[in-house]
Amino acid sequence: MFRKVLQSLSRSLSSRPKAEFTANRAAPGSLLERLADPFGHRAGGPSNPGREAAELLCGISPNMPRDQVAAQIKLLYRRYNRAASSLDANVRAEAERMLDAIVEIREQWFGPI
Amino acid sequence: MAKYVGIDLGTTLSGLAYLKSDGSPEIVPNGDGERLTPSVVYFDAHEDVKLVGSAARDGGDPARTIFQIKRHMDDPDYVIDIDGKKWAPSEISALILAKLKRDCERIIGEIEEVVITVPANFNELARKSTIAAAEMAGMKVLRLVNEPTAAAVYYAQTQDVQGRVLVFDLGGGTLDVTILQVTGDTIRILTSEGARHLGGSNFDDLLLMLFDEQYRSQTGQDLFSDERHRRRILQLAEDAKKMLSKLQRVNDTVANDLNSGIARIDLSRDGFEDLIRGMLTRTLLLVEQALDSAGLTANEVDHVVLVGGSTRIPKVKKVLEKFFAKTPKSCGNVDECVALGAALFARSSARIQEVCNASYGTLAMVYNATTGAEKLANSVVIPKNSLIPCSQTQIYQTSEDNEQVIEMDITQGEDEDPRFVDVIGRLTLEVPPGRPKGCEVEVTFSYDANQRVQARVFDRQSGRSKEVAVSYRGAGVLSEEDLSRRSMHLRAMRIE
Repeated sequence: MFRKVLQSLSRSLSSRPKAEFTANRAAPGSLLERLADPFGHRAGGPSNPGREAAELLCGISPNMPRDQVAAQIKLLYRRYNRAASSLDANVRAEAERMLDAIVEIREQWFGPI
Repeated sequence: MAKYVGIDLGTTLSGLAYLKSDGSPEIVPNGDGERLTPSVVYFDAHEDVKLVGSAARDGGDPARTIFQIKRHMDDPDYVIDIDGKKWAPSEISALILAKLKRDCERIIGEIEEVVITVPANFNELARKSTIAAAEMAGMKVLRLVNEPTAAAVYYAQTQDVQGRVLVFDLGGGTLDVTILQVTGDTIRILTSEGARHLGGSNFDDLLLMLFDEQYRSQTGQDLFSDERHRRRILQLAEDAKKMLSKLQRVNDTVANDLNSGIARIDLSRDGFEDLIRGMLTRTLLLVEQALDSAGLTANEVDHVVLVGGSTRIPKVKKVLEKFFAKTPKSCGNVDECVALGAALFARSSARIQEVCNASYGTLAMVYNATTGAEKLANSVVIPKNSLIPCSQTQIYQTSEDNEQVIEMDITQGEDEDPRFVDVIGRLTLEVPPGRPKGCEVEVTFSYDANQRVQARVFDRQSGRSKEVAVSYRGAGVLSEEDLSRRSMHLRAMRIE
């Protein structure tokens, strides 16, 4: 039993939520190393802040069940894949960072492709 | 006159196919003898001529050369200024289409009506711009068809397959994943998902960065300092990528444009695969999204079909083979099957059932009478994957007493959270004053065969209604008057 009341909020929706991305992405090393490990977790061991940044961005905690992680990745990928083709350059840049984080989490939890 | 003609207006390559008298599709070569035409336009500074194709790609001044215009077809404000004249993306595309039409008419006769392919997730504006481009080039668009649908039609008809088919279309600029059901000679699209900026040119850009890095490590200098030289190195990077699909190692030498010396570039297939691994993981995420959208698991897909030049990369095939536990099949010539399928589609569109590629709805405060909970949500009226053409209605209520203007946002996207959908239009309807809140309003969305959406709002109490097609304004959007004027101009243009 739902009642739906029309709302028009175009103006107030102009700003999407901004990802709180704080990791230093200018990691040292070659292009290959940076691309293969964008969050630097392999170099830094288990408590590396880069890995934690990816988990934080994606709302993943280390003790989360795998199916819950999969559902979260699915939701985030759908959202940010869509945002990656936005006409707003800021939204696109944010989406790219989120997609990198999603790729990172997928590889950590479900193995490399 | 050629009756059934299909055009693949691609990000990097375009092609035209027609149905021969025996019903089989054939690519028609352009006037330069090429089966596919690079989607590149060059505006010459000395002669009043527009070059389209290889000559445009390989020669001129980068400031006068337009690459990958398709990536801007959805941007209402994008214009290109050449010698003070502003060109909309649809006009640049029209030049490419005009070249195809003029060249191919010499071989197959007059071309009047065509089916043109577009990426599955092309939005309203990009579809409208594509139709406008064809009209400017002197062709009527019989139908727009999604690229993976066209490829699937070609595959299904030439390979005689039945069952569920997943088409993985990784082209120069976009990735589309479409799942369809083939039953007899009927094809039912189940879902299409797309990533707009994920394609071979992204791999080229990564290789270009690698070239630059290797050059700098050997000479201490940047590899390129201007756009013209960057384009040349980009072409080398693309060539190297293609070679790495056949060889394990590739070597090349490069120099910058400032005489800083020559550097040797060493590339291995393993290194390249590592370079693009993140991008490939994204492609797999899109496959998973498509399966989820169709309510299927990987083992419920009977055939995996590869389309698009970037599927020649061996790792792409390996990744999909591992995921599906079956060998993907190539769709014949992966560069041509979209155009060939479009020609087949022109004849058999009645047997192909397509679906709505996105959800359309409006914003509403949703009250749950059972729990008392309320939340602002994207309220979907037409769900994604509805068979098209279609029309659906939902009832809403007005939100305020004495509301005299009903305002309705038109949303595109599946997410319930309004922050993650696009508001693509707005409809307003004036209603009589003095009414209490809670008056019922019918909201109807219609979706046509060309995947264009219309919205209608109907106030039950006053009987007033209003209907709009989603429309866009911007410097890059041509009015009907502009369209007509520029069509005349384009027809008189020298296009080589």
